[in-house]
Amino acid sequence: MDSIGERIQAVRQAASAQTMLAATCALAASDHGDSVNGEAIACLVEVLGFNNPGAAVAAVDGLIRLGPMAVEPILDSLDPRNYGARAWAVRALAGIGDVRGLDLLEEALASDVGPSVRRAAACGLGSLQLKALKPHQRTAVRERALLALLGGCHDGEWVVRYAVSVGLESLGLRLEPQPQEQLQLLKALAALGQPDLEDTVVVRLRARLAHQRLLALMPAAGIEAQAQADDRP
Amino acid sequence: MAPASSIPAAQPLPGDSDAHGNGEPISEGEALARLRQCADQSHQYYAAWWLGRNRSRHPEAVPLLITALQQRRPRDPLAGVEENAVARNAARALGKLGDPAAIPELLAALDDEDDGLREAAARSLGELAAIDAVAVLLRRLASGPAGAGATRPDSPRLQEPCEAMLEALGAIGIAEPGVITLIEPFTAHERPLIRSAACRALLQLSGEARWADPLVQLLDHPQLQVRRAALMDLGAVGWRPALEPICRTLAENSLKLIALRGLVEQGAHHDATIQAEAVLSAMDSLL
Repeated sequence: MDSIGERIQAVRQAASAQTMLAATCALAASDHGDSVNGEAIACLVEVLGFNNPGAAVAAVDGLIRLGPMAVEPILDSLDPRNYGARAWAVRALAGIGDVRGLDLLEEALASDVGPSVRRAAACGLGSLQLKALKPHQRTAVRERALLALLGGCHDGEWVVRYAVSVGLESLGLRLEPQPQEQLQLLKALAALGQPDLEDTVVVRLRARLAHQRLLALMPAAGIEAQAQADDRP
Repeated sequence: MAPASSIPAAQPLPGDSDAHGNGEPISEGEALARLRQCADQSHQYYAAWWLGRNRSRHPEAVPLLITALQQRRPRDPLAGVEENAVARNAARALGKLGDPAAIPELLAALDDEDDGLREAAARSLGELAAIDAVAVLLRRLASGPAGAGATRPDSPRLQEPCEAMLEALGAIGIAEPGVITLIEPFTAHERPLIRSAACRALLQLSGEARWADPLVQLLDHPQLQVRRAALMDLGAVGWRPALEPICRTLAENSLKLIALRGLVEQGAHHDATIQAEAVLSAMDSLL
Protein backbone atom coordinates (compact mmCIF):
# COMPACT_ATOMS: atom_id res chain seq x y z
CA MET A 1 0.00 0.00 0.00
CA ASP A 2 1.18 3.52 -0.80
CA SER A 3 2.18 5.76 2.07
CA ILE A 4 -0.05 8.68 3.03
CA GLY A 5 2.52 11.01 1.52
CA GLU A 6 2.30 9.22 -1.81
CA ARG A 7 -1.49 9.27 -1.72
CA ILE A 8 -1.51 13.00 -1.01
CA GLN A 9 0.89 13.53 -3.87
CA ALA A 10 -1.35 11.47 -6.16
CA VAL A 11 -4.28 13.80 -5.36
CA ARG A 12 -2.22 16.97 -5.89
CA GLN A 13 -0.79 15.72 -9.19
CA ALA A 14 -3.99 14.24 -10.61
CA ALA A 15 -4.27 15.38 -14.21
CA SER A 16 -7.89 14.46 -14.92
CA ALA A 17 -11.19 14.43 -13.05
CA GLN A 18 -11.12 10.63 -13.11
CA THR A 19 -7.65 10.23 -11.63
CA MET A 20 -8.49 12.93 -9.07
CA LEU A 21 -11.56 10.94 -8.02
CA ALA A 22 -9.60 7.70 -7.73
CA ALA A 23 -6.77 9.37 -5.80
CA THR A 24 -9.19 11.11 -3.43
CA CYS A 25 -11.05 7.85 -2.76
CA ALA A 26 -7.73 6.16 -1.96
CA LEU A 27 -6.70 8.96 0.40
CA ALA A 28 -10.13 9.15 2.06
CA ALA A 29 -10.10 5.41 2.71
CA SER A 30 -6.58 5.35 4.15
CA ASP A 31 -5.95 4.11 7.64
CA HIS A 32 -4.27 7.19 9.06
CA GLY A 33 -1.87 7.43 11.92
CA ASP A 34 -2.16 10.51 14.10
CA SER A 35 1.15 11.87 12.88
CA VAL A 36 -0.03 12.20 9.28
CA ASN A 37 -3.71 12.93 9.77
CA GLY A 38 -3.11 16.66 9.60
CA GLU A 39 -1.63 16.44 6.12
CA ALA A 40 -4.39 14.15 4.89
CA ILE A 41 -7.04 16.51 6.26
CA ALA A 42 -5.40 19.53 4.64
CA CYS A 43 -5.36 17.71 1.31
CA LEU A 44 -8.99 16.53 1.57
CA VAL A 45 -10.07 20.08 2.47
CA GLU A 46 -8.27 21.36 -0.64
CA VAL A 47 -10.22 18.86 -2.76
CA LEU A 48 -13.48 20.49 -1.61
CA GLY A 49 -12.46 23.57 -3.60
CA PHE A 50 -11.51 21.82 -6.85
CA ASN A 51 -14.91 21.88 -8.55
CA ASN A 52 -14.88 18.10 -8.97
CA PRO A 53 -18.14 16.80 -7.46
CA GLY A 54 -17.16 13.12 -7.47
CA ALA A 55 -13.88 13.80 -5.68
CA ALA A 56 -15.59 16.24 -3.29
CA VAL A 57 -18.08 13.54 -2.25
CA ALA A 58 -15.18 11.21 -1.52
CA ALA A 59 -13.32 13.95 0.38
CA VAL A 60 -16.43 14.72 2.48
CA ASP A 61 -16.71 11.02 3.37
CA GLY A 62 -13.05 10.94 4.32
CA LEU A 63 -13.34 14.09 6.47
CA ILE A 64 -16.42 12.72 8.23
CA ARG A 65 -14.49 9.55 8.99
CA LEU A 66 -11.65 11.60 10.48
CA GLY A 67 -14.20 13.38 12.67
CA PRO A 68 -13.61 16.24 15.15
CA MET A 69 -9.95 16.72 14.25
CA ALA A 70 -11.08 17.84 10.78
CA VAL A 71 -13.36 20.59 12.09
CA GLU A 72 -10.83 23.40 12.62
CA PRO A 73 -9.12 22.89 9.24
CA ILE A 74 -12.51 22.91 7.51
CA LEU A 75 -13.63 26.10 9.29
CA ASP A 76 -10.28 27.78 8.62
CA SER A 77 -10.56 27.01 4.93
CA LEU A 78 -13.96 28.67 4.41
CA ASP A 79 -13.75 31.09 1.54
CA PRO A 80 -16.83 33.26 0.97
CA ARG A 81 -15.86 33.59 -2.70
CA ASN A 82 -15.82 29.84 -3.35
CA TYR A 83 -19.45 28.79 -3.02
CA GLY A 84 -18.81 25.19 -4.08
CA ALA A 85 -16.14 24.59 -1.46
CA ARG A 86 -18.34 26.15 1.20
CA ALA A 87 -21.27 23.89 0.29
CA TRP A 88 -19.08 20.80 0.61
CA ALA A 89 -17.71 22.10 3.92
CA VAL A 90 -21.27 22.38 5.26
CA ARG A 91 -21.88 18.76 4.30
CA ALA A 92 -18.69 17.59 5.97
CA LEU A 93 -19.48 19.53 9.16
CA ALA A 94 -23.06 18.26 9.16
CA GLY A 95 -21.74 14.70 8.95
CA ILE A 96 -19.17 15.19 11.69
CA GLY A 97 -21.74 16.72 14.04
CA ASP A 98 -19.29 18.85 15.98
CA VAL A 99 -20.85 21.87 17.73
CA ARG A 100 -18.09 24.13 16.41
CA GLY A 101 -19.93 23.89 13.09
CA LEU A 102 -23.20 25.16 14.58
CA ASP A 103 -22.91 28.74 13.27
CA LEU A 104 -22.28 27.55 9.75
CA LEU A 105 -25.08 24.96 9.83
CA GLU A 106 -27.58 27.55 11.11
CA GLU A 107 -26.60 29.98 8.42
CA ALA A 108 -26.67 27.30 5.72
CA LEU A 109 -30.15 26.03 6.57
CA ALA A 110 -31.52 29.57 6.75
CA SER A 111 -30.02 31.03 3.62
CA ASP A 112 -27.90 28.79 1.41
CA VAL A 113 -29.14 28.85 -2.21
CA GLY A 114 -28.52 25.12 -2.73
CA PRO A 115 -31.30 22.78 -1.54
CA SER A 116 -28.80 19.95 -1.14
CA VAL A 117 -26.76 22.14 1.22
CA ARG A 118 -29.81 23.18 3.26
CA ARG A 119 -30.83 19.52 3.38
CA ALA A 120 -27.45 18.44 4.76
CA ALA A 121 -27.48 21.31 7.26
CA ALA A 122 -30.93 20.30 8.55
CA CYS A 123 -29.75 16.76 9.08
CA GLY A 124 -26.57 17.93 10.77
CA LEU A 125 -28.43 20.25 13.14
CA GLY A 126 -30.41 17.27 14.41
CA SER A 127 -27.41 15.12 15.07
CA LEU A 128 -24.90 17.43 16.78
CA GLN A 129 -22.79 15.58 19.33
CA LEU A 130 -23.79 16.88 22.77
CA LYS A 131 -22.29 14.32 25.14
CA ALA A 132 -18.97 16.05 25.72
CA LEU A 133 -20.59 19.41 26.54
CA LYS A 134 -21.35 20.91 29.96
CA PRO A 135 -25.07 20.86 30.79
CA HIS A 136 -25.63 24.60 30.23
CA GLN A 137 -23.80 24.46 26.89
CA ARG A 138 -25.84 21.46 25.90
CA THR A 139 -29.07 23.35 26.57
CA ALA A 140 -27.90 26.35 24.57
CA VAL A 141 -26.87 24.24 21.57
CA ARG A 142 -30.13 22.31 21.62
CA GLU A 143 -32.17 25.49 21.76
CA ARG A 144 -30.31 26.98 18.81
CA ALA A 145 -30.58 23.78 16.77
CA LEU A 146 -34.30 23.57 17.50
CA LEU A 147 -34.85 27.19 16.53
CA ALA A 148 -32.96 26.71 13.25
CA LEU A 149 -34.96 23.55 12.43
CA LEU A 150 -38.27 25.25 13.23
CA GLY A 151 -37.31 27.94 10.70
CA GLY A 152 -36.51 25.21 8.15
CA CYS A 153 -40.08 23.85 8.35
CA HIS A 154 -41.06 26.67 5.97
CA ASP A 155 -38.38 26.00 3.37
CA GLY A 156 -39.66 26.11 -0.23
CA GLU A 157 -38.11 22.74 -1.20
CA TRP A 158 -39.74 19.48 -0.16
CA VAL A 159 -36.42 17.71 0.32
CA VAL A 160 -35.31 20.31 2.85
CA ARG A 161 -38.56 19.97 4.80
CA TYR A 162 -38.05 16.20 4.66
CA ALA A 163 -34.55 16.63 6.11
CA VAL A 164 -35.96 18.99 8.76
CA SER A 165 -38.39 16.23 9.82
CA VAL A 166 -35.47 13.83 10.15
CA GLY A 167 -33.44 16.48 11.99
CA LEU A 168 -36.28 17.19 14.40
CA GLU A 169 -36.67 13.48 15.10
CA SER A 170 -33.00 12.94 15.90
CA LEU A 171 -32.91 16.10 18.00
CA GLY A 172 -36.05 14.97 19.82
CA LEU A 173 -34.61 11.55 20.54
CA ARG A 174 -31.77 13.25 22.40
CA LEU A 175 -33.72 15.96 24.21
CA GLU A 176 -33.64 15.89 27.96
CA PRO A 177 -36.99 16.41 29.58
CA GLN A 178 -37.66 20.06 28.65
CA PRO A 179 -41.42 20.25 28.24
CA GLN A 180 -41.35 23.52 26.32
CA GLU A 181 -38.90 22.20 23.71
CA GLN A 182 -40.70 18.89 23.37
CA LEU A 183 -43.94 20.71 22.82
CA GLN A 184 -42.51 22.98 20.10
CA LEU A 185 -40.90 20.04 18.39
CA LEU A 186 -44.02 17.89 18.38
CA LYS A 187 -46.14 20.77 17.12
CA ALA A 188 -43.75 21.42 14.25
CA LEU A 189 -43.81 17.74 13.23
CA ALA A 190 -47.59 17.61 13.54
CA ALA A 191 -47.86 20.60 11.19
CA LEU A 192 -45.53 18.96 8.65
CA GLY A 193 -47.80 15.92 8.76
CA GLN A 194 -50.99 17.81 7.88
CA PRO A 195 -52.30 17.83 4.31
CA ASP A 196 -53.64 21.39 4.55
CA LEU A 197 -50.23 22.70 5.66
CA GLU A 198 -47.83 20.40 3.80
CA ASP A 199 -48.47 19.46 0.19
CA THR A 200 -45.75 16.83 -0.34
CA VAL A 201 -46.93 13.35 0.57
CA VAL A 202 -43.51 11.93 1.41
CA VAL A 203 -42.77 14.83 3.78
CA ARG A 204 -46.05 14.25 5.58
CA LEU A 205 -45.33 10.53 5.93
CA ARG A 206 -41.84 11.15 7.27
CA ALA A 207 -43.02 13.83 9.70
CA ARG A 208 -45.79 11.59 11.00
CA LEU A 209 -43.34 8.74 11.49
CA ALA A 210 -41.05 11.05 13.47
CA HIS A 211 -44.01 12.34 15.46
CA GLN A 212 -45.09 8.79 16.31
CA ARG A 213 -41.62 7.74 17.39
CA LEU A 214 -41.16 10.81 19.60
CA LEU A 215 -44.62 10.60 21.08
CA ALA A 216 -43.72 7.21 22.52
CA LEU A 217 -40.85 8.92 24.35
CA MET A 218 -42.63 12.08 25.45
CA PRO A 219 -46.22 11.19 26.20
CA ALA A 220 -46.74 14.19 28.48
CA ALA A 221 -45.78 16.69 25.80
CA GLY A 222 -47.98 14.82 23.36
CA ILE A 223 -51.01 15.20 25.57
CA GLU A 224 -50.26 18.89 26.03
CA ALA A 225 -49.87 19.43 22.26
CA GLN A 226 -53.15 17.62 21.63
CA ALA A 227 -54.90 19.74 24.26
CA GLN A 228 -53.60 22.94 22.68
CA ALA A 229 -54.65 21.77 19.23
CA ASP A 230 -58.15 21.00 20.52
CA ASP A 231 -58.39 24.51 21.96
CA ARG A 232 -57.90 26.08 18.56
CA PRO A 233 -61.01 27.74 17.20
CA MET B 1 -46.25 25.07 1.17
CA ALA B 2 -44.25 28.22 1.84
CA PRO B 3 -45.57 31.49 0.47
CA ALA B 4 -44.01 32.20 -2.87
CA SER B 5 -42.38 35.39 -1.65
CA SER B 6 -40.12 33.49 0.75
CA ILE B 7 -38.71 31.20 -1.93
CA PRO B 8 -35.30 32.28 -3.14
CA ALA B 9 -35.68 32.96 -6.84
CA ALA B 10 -34.17 29.91 -8.48
CA GLN B 11 -32.94 29.82 -12.05
CA PRO B 12 -34.37 27.39 -14.55
CA LEU B 13 -32.49 24.11 -14.43
CA PRO B 14 -28.98 24.22 -15.89
CA GLY B 15 -30.02 21.58 -18.42
CA ASP B 16 -32.70 23.90 -19.75
CA SER B 17 -31.12 25.45 -22.79
CA ASP B 18 -33.83 28.11 -22.94
CA ALA B 19 -32.83 29.54 -19.58
CA HIS B 20 -32.87 33.32 -19.62
CA GLY B 21 -34.29 34.08 -16.17
CA ASN B 22 -32.56 36.92 -14.46
CA GLY B 23 -33.17 35.37 -11.09
CA GLU B 24 -34.16 38.28 -8.86
CA PRO B 25 -37.10 37.61 -6.57
CA ILE B 26 -40.33 38.91 -8.03
CA SER B 27 -43.90 38.87 -6.73
CA GLU B 28 -46.82 37.05 -8.32
CA GLY B 29 -48.27 40.41 -9.36
CA GLU B 30 -45.02 41.35 -11.05
CA ALA B 31 -44.89 37.98 -12.84
CA LEU B 32 -48.41 38.46 -14.18
CA ALA B 33 -47.59 42.01 -15.31
CA ARG B 34 -44.45 40.82 -17.08
CA LEU B 35 -46.37 38.10 -18.90
CA ARG B 36 -49.16 40.54 -19.89
CA GLN B 37 -46.82 43.02 -21.61
CA CYS B 38 -45.48 42.06 -25.04
CA ALA B 39 -42.61 44.49 -25.52
CA ASP B 40 -39.93 42.49 -23.71
CA GLN B 41 -40.02 38.77 -24.43
CA SER B 42 -37.27 37.91 -21.99
CA HIS B 43 -39.58 39.29 -19.27
CA GLN B 44 -42.43 37.16 -20.59
CA TYR B 45 -40.15 34.16 -20.72
CA TYR B 46 -39.12 34.52 -17.10
CA ALA B 47 -42.68 35.30 -15.97
CA ALA B 48 -44.08 32.15 -17.63
CA TRP B 49 -41.43 30.05 -15.93
CA TRP B 50 -42.03 31.80 -12.59
CA LEU B 51 -45.80 31.15 -12.60
CA GLY B 52 -45.24 27.43 -13.19
CA ARG B 53 -42.39 27.10 -10.73
CA ASN B 54 -44.39 28.75 -7.97
CA ARG B 55 -47.62 26.93 -8.83
CA SER B 56 -49.52 30.19 -9.12
CA ARG B 57 -53.22 29.90 -8.35
CA HIS B 58 -54.06 33.39 -9.50
CA PRO B 59 -57.16 33.32 -11.77
CA GLU B 60 -55.30 35.28 -14.46
CA ALA B 61 -52.32 32.92 -14.60
CA VAL B 62 -53.82 30.21 -16.85
CA PRO B 63 -55.53 32.59 -19.33
CA LEU B 64 -52.34 34.64 -19.68
CA LEU B 65 -50.23 31.51 -20.18
CA ILE B 66 -52.65 30.25 -22.84
CA THR B 67 -52.35 33.60 -24.62
CA ALA B 68 -48.55 33.34 -24.40
CA LEU B 69 -48.74 29.83 -25.86
CA GLN B 70 -50.79 31.21 -28.76
CA GLN B 71 -48.14 33.84 -29.51
CA ARG B 72 -45.94 31.27 -31.22
CA ARG B 73 -45.13 31.63 -34.87
CA PRO B 74 -42.89 29.89 -37.44
CA ARG B 75 -39.58 29.39 -35.83
CA ASP B 76 -36.60 31.67 -36.30
CA PRO B 77 -33.68 30.06 -34.52
CA LEU B 78 -31.55 33.17 -34.99
CA ALA B 79 -33.81 35.41 -32.93
CA GLY B 80 -32.83 35.66 -29.25
CA VAL B 81 -35.69 35.09 -26.87
CA GLU B 82 -38.34 34.54 -29.46
CA GLU B 83 -42.06 34.03 -29.14
CA ASN B 84 -41.63 30.29 -29.32
CA ALA B 85 -39.33 30.27 -26.31
CA VAL B 86 -42.08 32.08 -24.41
CA ALA B 87 -44.60 29.57 -25.78
CA ARG B 88 -42.47 26.64 -24.64
CA ASN B 89 -42.19 28.02 -21.13
CA ALA B 90 -45.92 28.76 -21.11
CA ALA B 91 -46.62 25.15 -22.17
CA ARG B 92 -44.41 23.84 -19.37
CA ALA B 93 -46.07 26.09 -16.80
CA LEU B 94 -49.57 25.04 -17.91
CA GLY B 95 -48.67 21.43 -17.14
CA LYS B 96 -47.65 22.39 -13.63
CA LEU B 97 -50.76 24.46 -12.87
CA GLY B 98 -53.05 21.48 -13.42
CA ASP B 99 -55.97 23.32 -15.08
CA PRO B 100 -57.70 21.26 -17.81
CA ALA B 101 -58.69 24.53 -19.51
CA ALA B 102 -55.20 24.49 -21.01
CA ILE B 103 -55.70 21.15 -22.79
CA PRO B 104 -57.11 22.33 -26.16
CA GLU B 105 -54.27 24.79 -26.78
CA LEU B 106 -51.66 22.23 -25.67
CA LEU B 107 -53.21 19.70 -28.05
CA ALA B 108 -52.83 22.19 -30.89
CA ALA B 109 -49.18 22.69 -29.88
CA LEU B 110 -48.57 18.92 -30.30
CA ASP B 111 -48.80 19.53 -34.04
CA ASP B 112 -46.58 22.64 -34.06
CA GLU B 113 -43.56 22.54 -36.33
CA ASP B 114 -41.27 23.43 -33.40
CA ASP B 115 -40.31 20.08 -31.89
CA GLY B 116 -39.21 21.80 -28.67
CA LEU B 117 -42.74 23.06 -28.28
CA ARG B 118 -44.19 19.63 -29.13
CA GLU B 119 -41.95 18.21 -26.42
CA ALA B 120 -43.09 20.72 -23.79
CA ALA B 121 -46.74 20.25 -24.78
CA ALA B 122 -46.45 16.44 -24.61
CA ARG B 123 -44.98 16.58 -21.11
CA SER B 124 -47.65 18.95 -19.89
CA LEU B 125 -50.47 16.91 -21.40
CA GLY B 126 -49.02 13.93 -19.54
CA GLU B 127 -48.99 15.92 -16.30
CA LEU B 128 -52.60 16.91 -16.93
CA ALA B 129 -53.46 13.25 -17.70
CA ALA B 130 -55.21 14.52 -20.83
CA ILE B 131 -56.97 11.51 -22.36
CA ASP B 132 -57.69 13.52 -25.52
CA ALA B 133 -53.96 13.67 -26.22
CA VAL B 134 -53.61 9.90 -26.71
CA ALA B 135 -54.89 9.88 -30.28
CA VAL B 136 -52.56 12.72 -31.36
CA LEU B 137 -49.56 11.13 -29.62
CA LEU B 138 -50.28 7.78 -31.31
CA ARG B 139 -50.53 9.50 -34.67
CA ARG B 140 -47.20 11.31 -34.25
CA LEU B 141 -45.43 8.15 -33.07
CA ALA B 142 -47.13 5.78 -35.53
CA SER B 143 -44.12 5.54 -37.85
CA GLY B 144 -42.21 3.84 -35.01
CA PRO B 145 -38.51 3.91 -34.10
CA ALA B 146 -37.45 4.01 -37.75
CA GLY B 147 -39.66 7.02 -38.54
CA ALA B 148 -40.62 9.13 -35.54
CA GLY B 149 -37.58 7.75 -33.74
CA ALA B 150 -35.07 8.39 -36.54
CA THR B 151 -32.29 10.93 -36.13
CA ARG B 152 -32.74 14.04 -38.26
CA PRO B 153 -30.31 14.57 -41.08
CA ASP B 154 -29.51 18.11 -39.89
CA SER B 155 -29.31 17.69 -36.12
CA PRO B 156 -28.84 15.08 -33.40
CA ARG B 157 -32.52 15.43 -32.47
CA LEU B 158 -35.07 12.81 -33.39
CA GLN B 159 -37.94 13.45 -35.80
CA GLU B 160 -40.34 13.49 -32.87
CA PRO B 161 -39.60 14.24 -29.21
CA CYS B 162 -40.11 10.52 -28.53
CA GLU B 163 -38.98 10.55 -24.93
CA ALA B 164 -41.55 13.15 -23.87
CA MET B 165 -44.30 11.61 -26.00
CA LEU B 166 -43.75 8.06 -24.67
CA GLU B 167 -43.65 9.35 -21.11
CA ALA B 168 -46.88 11.24 -21.70
CA LEU B 169 -48.61 8.06 -22.88
CA GLY B 170 -47.50 6.33 -19.69
CA ALA B 171 -48.64 9.21 -17.50
CA ILE B 172 -52.05 9.52 -19.17
CA GLY B 173 -52.56 5.85 -18.41
CA ILE B 174 -54.76 4.49 -21.20
CA ALA B 175 -53.61 0.85 -21.29
CA GLU B 176 -55.36 -0.16 -24.50
CA PRO B 177 -53.70 -2.79 -26.75
CA GLY B 178 -53.17 -0.18 -29.49
CA VAL B 179 -51.15 1.99 -27.13
CA ILE B 180 -49.06 -0.91 -25.80
CA THR B 181 -48.34 -2.24 -29.30
CA LEU B 182 -47.22 1.17 -30.48
CA ILE B 183 -44.84 1.71 -27.53
CA GLU B 184 -43.22 -1.75 -27.49
CA PRO B 185 -40.86 -1.35 -30.49
CA PHE B 186 -39.37 1.77 -28.84
CA THR B 187 -37.95 -0.50 -26.08
CA ALA B 188 -35.41 -1.58 -28.72
CA HIS B 189 -34.52 1.96 -29.85
CA GLU B 190 -30.80 2.58 -30.30
CA ARG B 191 -30.81 5.40 -27.72
CA PRO B 192 -30.94 4.30 -24.09
CA LEU B 193 -33.02 7.34 -23.07
CA ILE B 194 -35.77 6.34 -25.49
CA ARG B 195 -35.63 2.71 -24.32
CA SER B 196 -35.92 3.99 -20.76
CA ALA B 197 -38.95 6.16 -21.57
CA ALA B 198 -40.66 3.30 -23.40
CA CYS B 199 -40.10 0.83 -20.54
CA ARG B 200 -41.31 3.43 -18.07
CA ALA B 201 -44.54 3.91 -20.01
CA LEU B 202 -45.12 0.17 -20.43
CA LEU B 203 -44.44 -0.46 -16.75
CA GLN B 204 -46.92 2.25 -15.81
CA LEU B 205 -49.55 0.97 -18.21
CA SER B 206 -49.18 -2.79 -17.66
CA GLY B 207 -47.52 -3.15 -14.24
CA GLU B 208 -45.59 -6.08 -15.75
CA ALA B 209 -42.20 -6.64 -14.10
CA ARG B 210 -40.53 -7.55 -17.40
CA TRP B 211 -40.48 -3.84 -18.29
CA ALA B 212 -38.73 -3.00 -15.03
CA ASP B 213 -35.68 -5.18 -15.69
CA PRO B 214 -34.28 -3.05 -18.53
CA LEU B 215 -34.77 0.08 -16.40
CA VAL B 216 -32.87 -1.45 -13.49
CA GLN B 217 -30.10 -2.49 -15.90
CA LEU B 218 -29.81 1.08 -17.15
CA LEU B 219 -28.86 2.10 -13.59
CA ASP B 220 -25.49 0.48 -14.40
CA HIS B 221 -25.07 2.29 -17.72
CA PRO B 222 -21.65 3.94 -18.13
CA GLN B 223 -23.21 7.34 -18.92
CA LEU B 224 -24.40 9.40 -15.96
CA GLN B 225 -27.14 10.98 -18.07
CA VAL B 226 -28.65 7.53 -18.73
CA ARG B 227 -28.43 6.48 -15.08
CA ARG B 228 -30.19 9.71 -14.14
CA ALA B 229 -32.99 9.06 -16.62
CA ALA B 230 -33.47 5.50 -15.35
CA LEU B 231 -33.64 6.86 -11.80
CA MET B 232 -36.34 9.36 -12.73
CA ASP B 233 -38.26 6.72 -14.69
CA LEU B 234 -38.25 4.14 -11.89
CA GLY B 235 -39.29 6.93 -9.51
CA ALA B 236 -42.13 8.05 -11.76
CA VAL B 237 -43.47 4.49 -11.84
CA GLY B 238 -42.85 3.98 -8.13
CA TRP B 239 -41.25 0.58 -8.69
CA ARG B 240 -40.29 -0.41 -5.14
CA PRO B 241 -38.39 -3.60 -6.04
CA ALA B 242 -35.76 -1.19 -7.47
CA LEU B 243 -35.02 0.26 -4.02
CA GLU B 244 -31.61 -1.40 -3.62
CA PRO B 245 -30.34 -0.76 -7.15
CA ILE B 246 -31.43 2.89 -6.86
CA CYS B 247 -29.48 3.35 -3.64
CA ARG B 248 -26.41 1.68 -5.20
CA THR B 249 -26.24 3.45 -8.55
CA LEU B 250 -23.59 6.12 -9.13
CA ALA B 251 -25.53 9.38 -9.25
CA GLU B 252 -26.26 12.41 -7.11
CA ASN B 253 -28.13 11.81 -3.87
CA SER B 254 -30.51 14.62 -4.87
CA LEU B 255 -31.76 12.54 -7.80
CA LYS B 256 -31.90 9.32 -5.81
CA LEU B 257 -34.05 11.15 -3.25
CA ILE B 258 -36.46 12.27 -5.98
CA ALA B 259 -36.65 8.69 -7.29
CA LEU B 260 -37.25 7.29 -3.80
CA ARG B 261 -39.93 9.90 -3.20
CA GLY B 262 -41.65 8.36 -6.23
CA LEU B 263 -41.28 4.87 -4.74
CA VAL B 264 -43.03 6.06 -1.58
CA GLU B 265 -45.76 8.09 -3.25
CA GLN B 266 -46.50 5.98 -6.36
CA GLY B 267 -45.37 2.60 -5.06
CA ALA B 268 -48.60 1.59 -3.39
CA HIS B 269 -50.11 1.06 -6.86
CA HIS B 270 -48.01 -2.03 -7.35
CA ASP B 271 -47.99 -5.28 -5.49
CA ALA B 272 -44.99 -4.31 -3.39
CA THR B 273 -43.54 -6.33 -0.57
CA ILE B 274 -41.27 -3.42 0.26
CA GLN B 275 -43.01 -1.14 2.76
CA ALA B 276 -42.94 2.64 2.55
CA GLU B 277 -41.03 2.75 5.83
CA ALA B 278 -38.10 0.87 4.30
CA VAL B 279 -37.95 3.45 1.52
CA LEU B 280 -38.10 6.32 4.03
CA SER B 281 -35.22 4.81 5.92
CA ALA B 282 -33.19 4.59 2.71
CA MET B 283 -34.01 8.24 2.04
CA ASP B 284 -32.82 9.24 5.51
CA SER B 285 -29.42 7.76 4.81
CA LEU B 286 -29.05 9.76 1.58
CA LEU B 287 -29.62 13.18 3.18
